[in-house]
Amino acid sequence: MTHPFAALARELAARSVRYLLIGVSGANLYAPAGQAVFTTEDFDLFLPPDPDNLIAAWSACEAAGLDLFSGREPLDQPRDLWLAERVVERRAQTRASGPEGLAVDLTLVMKGYDFPAVWREHRRFEIEGAEIAVARLLHIVTSKHATGRDKDRLFLATHREALEQLLRRDE
Amino acid sequence: MNPTREDGLRTLQESSELAAEIRIELTERYVRLIEAVEALPENQAGADKSGRWRGGRSYWRFFEGARRIPRAE
Repeated sequence: MTHPFAALARELAARSVRYLLIGVSGANLYAPAGQAVFTTEDFDLFLPPDPDNLIAAWSACEAAGLDLFSGREPLDQPRDLWLAERVVERRAQTRASGPEGLAVDLTLVMKGYDFPAVWREHRRFEIEGAEIAVARLLHIVTSKHATGRDKDRLFLATHREALEQLLRRDE
Repeated sequence: MNPTREDGLRTLQESSELAAEIRIELTERYVRLIEAVEALPENQAGADKSGRWRGGRSYWRFFEGARRIPRAE
């Protein structure tokens, strides 16, 4: 079974795209062996407000066989510097979707943080030989806390309890 | 007793109300727990995380195979 993110990670690396995996998918990667992971099919990628980097990210998504959307509509063509600058100005999100329900959100916003602060302390993990950049778990959790949507609060409640159980097991 | 659509909607509503009431503080203990997890050997740079996704994927696959069965009157 191939990891759905592996092909995209390879394309992102080939283009030296700066990104950080955040959100529940990022938090899941820190889950110790034996601990349940949170179910999600979405991958949230935090990008710097850099139009050239965004174009490279779009190109990587296309090369990985993903379709790009802005809201419910396909992302405009041509996917050039002019379009990327407009997207960055608005801090708009683009979404890439692919086979088997893969959904990747390219976001320029991470509540409570700017990109350099998260980038400085990120970790690099591997998935099927592809290197991926992941935000610190602490940054992912504190951003979810700052966002404070219902689903974020549910995640935090469950996540804290899972970590409590882990610590009790190890004490 | 078979659950009805109204039962499902009621459960969703209860979950939504519960979520709205939850207030999770980033206490010193919670932060310490997070840092303990980050410090685990399997969470150091270069760690292979290929397997962390398969459990969740299997979960989804299980439900993807679900089919609605007409209820007998």
